[in-house]
Amino acid sequence: MTEPRNPSMSSVPQTAPAHTDSSSSVVEMDPVEYTLRKRLPRKLPKRRNDVYVNMKTDFRAQLARCQKLLEGGGHREICVHGLGLAINRAINIALQLQASSQGALQLAANTSTVELVDDLEPEDPDEAGEPMTRTRNNSAIHIKVFYPDTQLAQ
Amino acid sequence: MDHQSASFSSSVSSSSLKLDQSNFRRISRTEDSSLYPIPGLAADILHMRVKEGSKIRNLLRFATLRMQGEGRDSAGTLLRQVVFSGSGRGVTKTITCVEILKRKVEGLHQVSKLYYKTIHEVWESPQQGAPGTTMERTVPAICILLSKDPLDPQEPGYQPPQVISGPTDTGRHRGLLRVAHSPPSQRTAKRLCLDDWNMRPT
Repeated sequence: MTEPRNPSMSSVPQTAPAHTDSSSSVVEMDPVEYTLRKRLPRKLPKRRNDVYVNMKTDFRAQLARCQKLLEGGGHREICVHGLGLAINRAINIALQLQASSQGALQLAANTSTVELVDDLEPEDPDEAGEPMTRTRNNSAIHIKVFYPDTQLAQ
Repeated sequence: MDHQSASFSSSVSSSSLKLDQSNFRRISRTEDSSLYPIPGLAADILHMRVKEGSKIRNLLRFATLRMQGEGRDSAGTLLRQVVFSGSGRGVTKTITCVEILKRKVEGLHQVSKLYYKTIHEVWESPQQGAPGTTMERTVPAICILLSKDPLDPQEPGYQPPQVISGPTDTGRHRGLLRVAHSPPSQRTAKRLCLDDWNMRPT
């Protein structure tokens, strides 16, 4: 948990070109190896009441941060965002907030697709491989956690 | 690591069992099949239950056949709504299914609901005669209604249909653009941008 992990430096040796070459008859040709670098998701708007949930920070710390915003921060609503694997955690945080508020809080979830970019860099600069990028989609969730207006509720 | 959030709420009930749980055998697992959290749904609505191991292509092949075209199934009925639900680690897959289906079938209104699902588990002790235990776990779950008919915009979790810009449908032409001499792979069906490697999404 304590090791410093930079997301942009987590290089996974990408052997996808080697995989396809082995199926064809070209065996002598050295497959070009790539390093897959995942770029960070594109910067999203960040208001005071936006919480972007990740999988690195402790769950309880993120839950406490949301509670602090709603109780101490004086916000009537906050927005909890989660991308990919963090969707589960975002939902969990929202449901925990709702459960601990004795039903005072309401949830409104929206889903979306986020386009992510990966860089493929050749391992060996002498090889013929050129740097490439690859876009892929990932799912995201945006949960509005709010105190409903008393006038509308009646 | 990823169990951390899922078991957060159930830690109270499960912590006492944690030490000798590996010796126990789970003999039944029943999910609390309560009503849909979305009000006003027909009982015979198409309900896609997305599990952790479900294949997205299988789910979507079935769902798009019932939704696309004239929306006519073998019985000749029109299908205007579909519900996707999933829990635990199937939540992400559920959302992905919905997002792809929204791109395939245009003009779908959406309502998403979050809830906790209760799962009852019965565990059996390996020793003969020793009493088994029952466990109650709660996992986060999502339920998403997609409808061709307009839904109540005041309902929390409502999303209007999205306007799809241009013919850049990534779900359709999923080829692998790569260097000319290697054959395109079916497995890594991702889009590669060769020339413009500094490309950023705007």
